Amino acid sequence: MPKLYTFLKYFFVVLWACFVIAPFLWAISTSFKDFNSVTGGATYIPWLQFEPTLDGWSVLFKPGSQGGINIIGPYFNSIFVTLTASLISIVLGTLAAYALSRYTFKAGIVKNNDITFFFISQRIMPPVVLSIPFFIFLSSLGLLDSLAGLILVYIVLLMPIAVWIMVDFFNRVPREIDETALIDGCNPFQAFFKVVLPNSVPGMLVAGLFCIIFGWIDFFFAFILTFTKVQLLPVKIVALNSSITPWWSLSAAALVSVAPLIIVAFIVERYLSKGNLSGALK
Amino acid sequence: MAKIILDNIAHTYEPNESNPIFALKEMSLSWADGGRYALLGPSGCGKTTMLNIMSGLVNPSHGKVFFDEREVTSMITEERNIAQVFQFPVIYGTMTVFENLAFPLKCRQFPEDQIERKVKEVAEILNLQDYLNNRAKGLTADQKQLISLGRGLVREDVAAILMDEPLTVIDPDLKFRLRRKLKEINDKYKTTLIYVTHDQNEAMTFADNIIVMDQGEVVQAGSPKDLFERPQTTFVGYFIGSPAMNLYECSASSKNEISIGANSFKVQTNINNSNSENLKLGIRSEYITVENEHSDNSLEADVIEVEDFGNYKLVTASFDSFKIKAKVKRELDIPSEKVILKLPAEHCCIYEDNKLI
Repeated sequence: MPKLYTFLKYFFVVLWACFVIAPFLWAISTSFKDFNSVTGGATYIPWLQFEPTLDGWSVLFKPGSQGGINIIGPYFNSIFVTLTASLISIVLGTLAAYALSRYTFKAGIVKNNDITFFFISQRIMPPVVLSIPFFIFLSSLGLLDSLAGLILVYIVLLMPIAVWIMVDFFNRVPREIDETALIDGCNPFQAFFKVVLPNSVPGMLVAGLFCIIFGWIDFFFAFILTFTKVQLLPVKIVALNSSITPWWSLSAAALVSVAPLIIVAFIVERYLSKGNLSGALK
Repeated sequence: MAKIILDNIAHTYEPNESNPIFALKEMSLSWADGGRYALLGPSGCGKTTMLNIMSGLVNPSHGKVFFDEREVTSMITEERNIAQVFQFPVIYGTMTVFENLAFPLKCRQFPEDQIERKVKEVAEILNLQDYLNNRAKGLTADQKQLISLGRGLVREDVAAILMDEPLTVIDPDLKFRLRRKLKEINDKYKTTLIYVTHDQNEAMTFADNIIVMDQGEVVQAGSPKDLFERPQTTFVGYFIGSPAMNLYECSASSKNEISIGANSFKVQTNINNSNSENLKLGIRSEYITVENEHSDNSLEADVIEVEDFGNYKLVTASFDSFKIKAKVKRELDIPSEKVILKLPAEHCCIYEDNKLI
């Protein structure tokens, strides 16, 4: 029985791995094909079945005057906006979550759980509901079509994720940790910064991963709130589309845009898989 | 170091309710400087709340707390300079064992050389000297608890060390040694030790003074001997001692005599209100003797079970519809059917409405 179990386990793991990796392999091979190789039936092996070409990739880096889209600017814009918004969301979200986890708030019938829900409820609404308020908001601040405006909007979108994850994380960190720090001579701020925060790095990394993913993949607000001066990667990639779908350069763009997420996921993965989320301090 | 006074303290966790449930009912208590106390009681009787009020983690809803003459009721924990050890190990997982032990001293800005000396001294007491440079996270549960304990011991100037069932996770042998160590520390530094437990043996062997609590009230405070010989309430009689005190509903037949069913017994207590319906006789199984023939205060009982505990025998018998337990010498031969038991008058405690007369 154990042998059969092991066999089945590995069988499904391998099956799942193929399922996950197949689209990547497909995208990689497509990105090196030209029009004829893509439309002339399925081919898999370079040089044997099709002649690889860098045309798909070069379009991404050529300026518009040479028929390209030049994603370098938007790429760095995306990195800057996502990282800045995620960082601010994590800092503010962690502080808010700690307060929600440790102190009791009460305003009429509104209590801690309601406040936490209020944060999360920001993500329940379909984004389109927020588009007009955000547009008017940024326009009144003169921040339409700017990096600062996008960062502001993304903080609003990402902070609920950070608060949600961190409240759950802090709730699982025993209160005695804070109390012990107070007894050992810390004031409440020192207890948070010296003792609770160093123990919360795994939770913050996980929250950070989610913030980065949701920030990075947003197309909707980046599309509505920017025009010509500032562009983010997803919006730029969409500009590739034309009457003939350029599968090769779309594949290359997809690979380039997913690469940072894969790198981040590899870094954070060990914190996700070790069960470190629990803060296991006892 | 200081004398700790709880002045008319009471606490409820729901102060805004019209009929709040009190975790701690109104009481006044004082803890002498350098004393060794045990706070004993079943789970949920308010022991931890009392500790938290002393350390400042909980602000009492009623009453005041004094350290010597100084009122500390509204003072935050950090300013009270108190050490507290919780039931479960609390360690700073990102720090080494050394850093953990040094933390309370660092927070209070002691000089480095003094920190080093004190940490090493405490590590030696707790057998942690080989682990000082290890990450605290990787240690076993009892080593982690030793660290928690160590953080309480590194400061010599604390007002008191409060321990909330600190040895629960530690194995029996080490538990015994640690209790002795704590006694030594108390003797050497004259630090007030307050030790919460629900294990009566732990309380009896550790403390000079035991405070027994039940349902948010102090039911008796006294030396282990007082608690054992003259329990002030039937609860204390039942809670302290193993087996629990034998307790029987009885009625007064004269000023110094009571009857349980068909048996009557002389007692040394003066029962003034002999009409009381709620009278009880309590006697420790340690004081009941096995006799060969009837005499005053003896009764005949049917033997149910004789258990040999190695150093003593525990006889369980029944008379009328009551059960009685007697702890007797191991060498004694116990008849297998009927046994004559004597309840010495000087050890009979009489309770009216569950309170000692």
